[in-house]
Amino acid sequence: MRLTHTISTAGFSSSSSSLTTPELHYCHLRAGGAIMAAARRNKRMAASQPGFLSFNSGLDGNSSDIKRRKRVNKNKKKNWNKYSDIQDVEEFLDDVRLQEKAAGGLIAEKPDATLFFVDTGEKDKETQPQTTVKKGKRSKPLRIDLILQPDSRIPAPKNVLAFQQPNAKKQRRMAEKAARLAAMGVLPRREKLLRLRQAAAASGLPVKENPVANNNPERAFYDLWSAGTPETDDPYYLEQTKKKLVKRPDRLNEKPSVLPAIEVVGPGGSYNPDFFSHQDLLREAHEVEVKKLRAEERLARQLAVKEDIATEESSFKEQVEGLIEEGDVEPEEPEGGSEDTVIGPTATQEKKTEKQRRKEKAQRIKALRRKADRQMIDKQQQLFQLRSIRANLKTQEQRTRQRQAQRKANQEAQKSMPRRLGRLKFQTPDLDVQLSHELAGSLRSLKPEGSILKDRFMSLQKRNLIEPRERAKFKRKYKVKYSEKRAFREIV
Amino acid sequence: MGGLQKKKYESGSATNYITRNKARKKLSLSLADFRRLCILKGIYPHEPKHKKKVNKGSTAPRTFYLLKDIRFLLHEPIVGKFREYKIFVRKLRKAYGKAEWGGVERLKENKPVYKLDHIIKERYPTFIDAVRDVDDSLSMCFLFSTFARTGKCHVQTIQLCRRLSVEWMNYVISSRSLRKVFLSIKGIYYQAEVLGQTITWIIPYQFAHDHPTDVDYRVMATFTEFYTTLLGFVNFRLYQTLNLVYPPKLDGQGEINLKSEFEEDYALDSESYTEKLSALSASLARMVPSAEEEETELDHFPTEGEDQEKMEEREKMEHEQIKQKKFFEGLKFFLNREVPRESLAFVIRCFGGEVSWDKSLCIGSTYDAKDETITHHIVDRPSIDTQYINRYYIQPQWVYDSVNAKILLPVEEYFLGVTLPPHLSPFVEETEGDYVPPEKLKLMALQRGEKPQTEDEEEEEEEEEDEDEEEDDQSEEEEEAEDEANLAEIEEKRSRGKSLSVKVTPGKAKAENRKRAAEEEKAEEKRLAIMMMKKREKYLYDKIMFGKKRNVREANKLAAKRKAHDDASKEDKKKKKKKC
Repeated sequence: MRLTHTISTAGFSSSSSSLTTPELHYCHLRAGGAIMAAARRNKRMAASQPGFLSFNSGLDGNSSDIKRRKRVNKNKKKNWNKYSDIQDVEEFLDDVRLQEKAAGGLIAEKPDATLFFVDTGEKDKETQPQTTVKKGKRSKPLRIDLILQPDSRIPAPKNVLAFQQPNAKKQRRMAEKAARLAAMGVLPRREKLLRLRQAAAASGLPVKENPVANNNPERAFYDLWSAGTPETDDPYYLEQTKKKLVKRPDRLNEKPSVLPAIEVVGPGGSYNPDFFSHQDLLREAHEVEVKKLRAEERLARQLAVKEDIATEESSFKEQVEGLIEEGDVEPEEPEGGSEDTVIGPTATQEKKTEKQRRKEKAQRIKALRRKADRQMIDKQQQLFQLRSIRANLKTQEQRTRQRQAQRKANQEAQKSMPRRLGRLKFQTPDLDVQLSHELAGSLRSLKPEGSILKDRFMSLQKRNLIEPRERAKFKRKYKVKYSEKRAFREIV
Repeated sequence: MGGLQKKKYESGSATNYITRNKARKKLSLSLADFRRLCILKGIYPHEPKHKKKVNKGSTAPRTFYLLKDIRFLLHEPIVGKFREYKIFVRKLRKAYGKAEWGGVERLKENKPVYKLDHIIKERYPTFIDAVRDVDDSLSMCFLFSTFARTGKCHVQTIQLCRRLSVEWMNYVISSRSLRKVFLSIKGIYYQAEVLGQTITWIIPYQFAHDHPTDVDYRVMATFTEFYTTLLGFVNFRLYQTLNLVYPPKLDGQGEINLKSEFEEDYALDSESYTEKLSALSASLARMVPSAEEEETELDHFPTEGEDQEKMEEREKMEHEQIKQKKFFEGLKFFLNREVPRESLAFVIRCFGGEVSWDKSLCIGSTYDAKDETITHHIVDRPSIDTQYINRYYIQPQWVYDSVNAKILLPVEEYFLGVTLPPHLSPFVEETEGDYVPPEKLKLMALQRGEKPQTEDEEEEEEEEEDEDEEEDDQSEEEEEAEDEANLAEIEEKRSRGKSLSVKVTPGKAKAENRKRAAEEEKAEEKRLAIMMMKKREKYLYDKIMFGKKRNVREANKLAAKRKAHDDASKEDKKKKKKKC
C-alpha cells in the first residue's frame, strides 16, 4: 500500500509539471544546437540504459501522432532552430528534472532501500497513541509556511555575486604595486606616518595634539607671564618666515575712556536704602524724566498745526477783499513813466586829465605822510602809556590762560564722554530705581531691578569700546498675502 | 610760482583714518569676523576731529578706525584662522547637503581652532596689567555663569564661566582679600584688594534673569571669550602666588568633611567635585602643606625719631588689618534655606567664619542645624519654630553690614522680624562737611570703639524709642559742644557786668587749661594769617570757606529734615499704638 502511495504522488507531481511552460520552451529554443545535442545525447544514454524508467507513459513506445515533417532547407542556421523537432527531448528532460526535483535524482539510479520498505503492519497500534497525543495549536506549522517551503530536492545554486570581490582587479594591481615598492624598500605613506609618530612618542617629546577650543570648560591654563621661554630661534629667521609677532604699539594699550569698568550705583540703589539717599536717587530719576517730557512737549508744540486754518468762508473773503466795497471803481494803472528807467550802470566815466592825476597823487602822498607822522607821535606817546599797556597785556594774558584752562578742562571732560562712533548716538540708559512702595523689606522678598547684561553692554558702549547699535530690524523679503480660507469664511 | 594744485583728501586726516567697511575689505573678513577681531585685539573705533575732512566731504555718520591700527591687524595670525573657519563652515554645509556623514565627521574632527594666549600676552605685557583689568572679565564671567542653558549662548561657555568664577571666589576666600560688599537692587557688588589692586565686580542675584532683546549676544559672547581666557591665566598665576594647587583641589580635611552618603542625589560623579568646590565650604589644598598661615611680621630696622613713630603706626595698622581679615573667626554660621547661600557662604568664609546649611539644600554642608556650637543662625523669615537658646537668629543683612564695618555689629537690630536699619553703601566716601546719615555716624562711632549708650531694656516697647533717641544723641553731640562755648561766653559777659560792683574776693588759683590755651593761640594765628593774606588769596580763601559753609549748611538742613522725618514717623507709630 505504501509503495503505491509514493508512486502515485510522484505521478501526480509529474502530471502537474508535465505541462511545459512557455518560458522553459523559450529557454530551450535559445539554447540552440548545443542543448539539442546534449538532449539527444541524454536520450541516447537513457535508451541505452536498460533499467531506465520514465514517468510519463506517453513517452515510451512510438507515439502515433507524429506530425508530418515539413520540408525546409537546412542550410540555414535559422531553420535549424525553427524546424527541428525537439519535443521528445524536452519532454524527456522535463521528466529528468522532475525526478531530480521530487526524488533528488533519477529514480532508476536509486537503491531499492530508499524507495521501498517492508510493511509489517504491526507498528500501527503502537504508533497510534503517539499520534493521538494532542499537539497544541502552536506546534502545528501554519499552512502558509508549508506552502512557502521549498519542495525541490535540488539544492539551490550558489550565488555567484556573493563570492565576487568588487574592484578585485584594481586591488590586485594595487597590491602588486605595493609589493613591488616594498621590494624596493619604499614604505607606504600611512606606515611612514605611523613610524614617525612612534618615534616621536619614544623620544619623549610632546606629541602635537589637536588644539582645544577656547570655550572648553576643561581647558588647561599655564603661567603666561613667566619669565622663561626666551626666543630660541634666530630672530632674522622668524622675521623672514613671518613667525615673529609684530610689536603692539603702546598707543593701543591706552583705554579710549577714563570711565571705570564697573560703575557702582549710588547709595540710593541699595536694596534697603537710607531714606534720604533713596529720595536723592528718585529726584535724579525724576529730573531726567521731566527733561525728556519737556523735550517731547517742545517738539509737539513745534509740530502743532496753527489754529487759524483757512476755512472756505475766510478764503472767499480774502479773494473778494476790496472788491465789494469799491464796486465798479477800478484802479487806474499808471501809464508810461517806466519806459525811461534803465537798469544797470550806463554812464561811462570820462578819462581823467593829467592834472587831475597829479593832484590825486599828491593828495595820496600827503595822506600817507600824515598817517606815518601820526603813528610816530603815537609811538612816542606810548612811552607815557606804559602802565596802561602793561595792564592791558596782563588782562590779555589772563584771558588766554583762562581759555587754555577751560579748553583743557573741556578736553578732560571729553575723555569720559561717550563719543559719536557710528550712525547712532549713545543714549544714556534709564536709571534703575525702585519706588518707595516697591522697596523690599528683606533680602528674600527683593525683586531685582534692571538687567546686568544690558548694563554691561551699555557700559561697553559708554566706554567707547564698541559703537552704539540697535537691534537689526526684521525685513521681509516678500510681501505677505492675506487670503481667507474657506473654512474661516463659512464661520464668519 | 605755480606748481601742481594739491588735490583734496590725499593727505592729512583723510589718509589717517579708514572707514569700517574699507577696513573690513582690506582684511577680507566678514563684518561679524571683523568685529570679533577688533574686540579680541582691543582695537576700538575712533571719532576723528574733522569728520567731514576724513569722510572726504561727506557728512554721513560712519565708523572710523585709525589706518595704522588696521595695518597692525593685518599681521595678526588669527585672521587666517577666521578665514579657515569660513571655509570650514562652507565645506561642512556642503557635506551635510550631500549627506556625506563620513565627510562631516572628518571635517568636524579637524575644525580650525584659534588661540588667544598670544593676544593676552600682547595686550597685558605684565601680570599686574592683567590684574588691573580683571574687573570687566569677572563681571562678565559671573554674569554668564548664571545664564540658563537655553541656547542664547554656548553651554560650554557657561560651564567655563562657572568654573572660572568658582576659582576666583575660592582664591578670594583663601587670600582673605574681600573688602566691601553692597547689596543693590541690581545685584551684589563686591570689592577685593588683590595684589594691591582694587577690583570691583558685580554678581547678579540668583534666578533674576530675563534675556533683554536689545543686547547683541554675539558681541557679548566675543568679549566673554576673551575675558574667560584672561581670567583663566590670571587665576592660574594668583593660585601660584598663594601656593595653591591649580586646578583647585580641596584639601584632605575638607574632602573628608564633605563626604556624604548621598552624593549621587546632588550631582553626577563627574560633576560632584566641581559642585563641592563651588559650595565654598572647605579650604583648598596647597602645594606645600603649611602649618596654619604664619603671620608675616614686618622686618625691624633700628630707626630714630619720626621714622620710628611712623613705623610703629604702620605696624599697628598692619595688625589691625590682619585682625579685620579674620573677624568672623571662631563663629559658626548656619544658613537657613531661604537666604542667598552662595553669596553668604562666600562672604563668611572670606572672613574666616565657618558656614553650613541644610543637607538637602546643597552639596557641601559640614554640620546640620542641630549642632550645639552654632553661634549665628541666619534666617530671612518673620519667625521660626524651633529656636536654640545658645545662638543668635539674625537676618542676612547683619553679615554684610558687619563686613562693611569690619567689626561684629550688635545683633539686636538684626533679630528676626525686626525692621532692619538701612543697608548703607560702602562705596560712598564722605568728605568733610557732607551730609552723613545718622546710621553711618553711629557705625563710625562703633568702629572707633565707643559703646553706644546702654539701653534700658525694661520694656520692649520703649526699646524702639530708645533707639531713636540714641540716634538723636549722636547728632546732638556736636550741638552740645557749641552750646558749651556759648555758655562760656555768656558767663564771661556776666562776669564783666558784675565787675562794676567792686568787691574783693579771695583769689583762686585759676586752673590753667593748657590745651585750651594752645587752641586759642592757634586760632589767633589763623586769624592773623587771614588778615595778612593778599587780596587775591583772600578772595580765594573766602570762596573756599563759603563753599565749605554751604556744604555744612546743606548737611545741617538734611539732618534737620531727617530729624523731622524721624519725629513724624515716631508720632505715627505712637498714634497707631494708641489706636491698637
